[in-house]
Amino acid sequence: MSTLPLTASAGGMPSLSLPSDIAHSVWRAGQMAAAGVSVTSSGWPALDKELPNQGWPHRGLTELLIRQTGIGEMRLLQPALRRVAGRIALLQPPHAPQVAAWIDWGLAPERLLWIRTQRHADLLWSAEQILRNGSCGALLLWQGALRNEAIRRLQLAAQASDVVCWLLRPLSLADVPSPVSLRLALQPKGQGLQIDVLKRRGPPCATPLLLPWSLLHGDRSFFTDELQHALLDRRLPATPAASIAAPALV
Amino acid sequence: MTVSRLAAQHGIRAGMRAASAQLLAPELILQTRDLMRENIARDAVALALLQYTPEVTIADADTLLMDVSASLSAFGGRRHLCHRVIGSVQALGFSLRLGMAPVAQASWLFAHQAGRVRRVIRIESMRRRLDALPVELLTTAERYQSWLTGIGCSTLADLRRLPRAGLKRRTDPALQDQLDRAYGEAPELFEWIQAPESFAAFLEFAYPTEQAEQLLLAAQRLVVQMTGWLVARQRAVSALVLTLDYERRRSRLASTDIEITLAEPAWQEAHLLRLMKERLNQLVLKAPVNILRLKAKQLAAFAPPTAQLFPEPGGTPADYRRLLELLMARLGPEAIRLPAPASDHRPEVANQWQISGQAQQKILTDTGTRFAERPFWLLEQPLALTLRGHRPFYGSALHLLSGPERIEAGWWDGDLAMRDYFVAQGEEGAYYWIYRERDIDQARWFLHGLFA
Repeated sequence: MSTLPLTASAGGMPSLSLPSDIAHSVWRAGQMAAAGVSVTSSGWPALDKELPNQGWPHRGLTELLIRQTGIGEMRLLQPALRRVAGRIALLQPPHAPQVAAWIDWGLAPERLLWIRTQRHADLLWSAEQILRNGSCGALLLWQGALRNEAIRRLQLAAQASDVVCWLLRPLSLADVPSPVSLRLALQPKGQGLQIDVLKRRGPPCATPLLLPWSLLHGDRSFFTDELQHALLDRRLPATPAASIAAPALV
Repeated sequence: MTVSRLAAQHGIRAGMRAASAQLLAPELILQTRDLMRENIARDAVALALLQYTPEVTIADADTLLMDVSASLSAFGGRRHLCHRVIGSVQALGFSLRLGMAPVAQASWLFAHQAGRVRRVIRIESMRRRLDALPVELLTTAERYQSWLTGIGCSTLADLRRLPRAGLKRRTDPALQDQLDRAYGEAPELFEWIQAPESFAAFLEFAYPTEQAEQLLLAAQRLVVQMTGWLVARQRAVSALVLTLDYERRRSRLASTDIEITLAEPAWQEAHLLRLMKERLNQLVLKAPVNILRLKAKQLAAFAPPTAQLFPEPGGTPADYRRLLELLMARLGPEAIRLPAPASDHRPEVANQWQISGQAQQKILTDTGTRFAERPFWLLEQPLALTLRGHRPFYGSALHLLSGPERIEAGWWDGDLAMRDYFVAQGEEGAYYWIYRERDIDQARWFLHGLFA
């Protein structure tokens, strides 16, 4: 039945020697997947090293589990969003995206598309339509409560399209199994953002990755120069003049 | 007049008396022939077929002739074209027999012949096939049927072997004409049908329905007709109205109009149908629907597709507009927002998003002044923060990192904002954008943004 010859290697362990024409498409769990899949570099060399094929996959979902909104998740994706061609769809974001920040990052505002849906079914439907249409370059989807069937369906749609798709969910779901092939957990830790690779096509990632805030938030003065003072207590700005002036008059 | 296949299995034949037919199959449904409805149906098919060629003509009560010689390469060859024509007619809910020949009269004969339908493309093979056809097929030979059988003339080849002058004298000259036309030896002239100036079609249900699928199927029939009409008139539709008329007998309800406005004029059947499907799925019917009407309300010039050597990576702009339309059809126009930043110092005023579908205004990419860092997430309602140990508290006590950035604007529109913005960091490391009101004694702190 099997045409693959089983040969005993030196260590006594049988190993499969694959015909050369299919060898590249077989992935072994011990090694990092390196198939000819198109990816977009994340822009963070340290993170790229931990991702299969050195970047965010084009075909397939990426799940980002975040401790809370606003811990630097958009900064983390920003270099990739800059590289992606076409529009970027934000589906059900937790807050209003600020266009000024987007322009500040040097990105064209007309590339943004913000979609708000009322019903859960509409959300999944919209995501699927965006993936199927393929005219957007990236899709960011915020949704915690998703059933595995729904995720699987999204995953299939993402695999069939060339849209980079991130699914952002709360960190509390880290223990819940998910059919997504790449899962990262993001949480702030001391001086930076800690990234745990929970699941990937490759060997388990033992040490979490730490992206320092200074790197993540760029060369803005308040993040770099004043970071040293950040942990010191800082006086509140002067209280309104009236309350100070009153005792002086007595 | 005619019997369905199921009825024929019960032994019912055309020309039988109604009573004897009822005896053979008690569940038989007798339909009287409705010539007006037949004509409407034939016109609908003709209109739909205009999308393949502008030269469509009505040959007789149940036959349409199309000149597709110029359309063969445009639709990818005759096999492909035949499949598309059959598909369109079936989408209208009719069946057809399709004959094809270099000569119109011959294709008419092929379509009407018993057994397998012929589709030939070369004139020699056409003549060979014609030779084998029975004489009865010629409409002009009907009166001379017994005479022709009597002289042993049964096929068209036999008929052609008869002396021309004698045949012309003994029968109708039209018979000889028809024969010559079929063999491509006499010219044929047709008056091609003209597409009407405006498009409005309707479909009456045999039984009133309230199922979305049935409505959609009916809508598809109307859309197929409209596609033919649009292509024939070289137009694209930018707004169309689908009207649902409710059953009159039970209720006197006003009909429901579904108006579909397109961002970009379209003529593609699939796209129009997808939009209709989303709209019909949302609709709540007041009563069973009796008649479905479709009207092209607003038209635009037909833009030819821009052919490019390489496909564009992110899909064409038309793809994107189609996506927006589709999303809007299901989610409503308010759900889709595009950035429209305004020039204002107040972040909540500056961060404007416009509803898709409105005329796209010019986006200000450079507001002139370069502000301090802005957070990516802006809370739609600033969140009042409590104070703990004289510090604003949000999850944990916040440390101020930079600021203040003083914003004082809006005295002119009664929405005065006097705020000092700070960047703050929580214990766990996340960055927040908070502000303190400046104009009142008991100044409070608010969270207004998150540096994502």
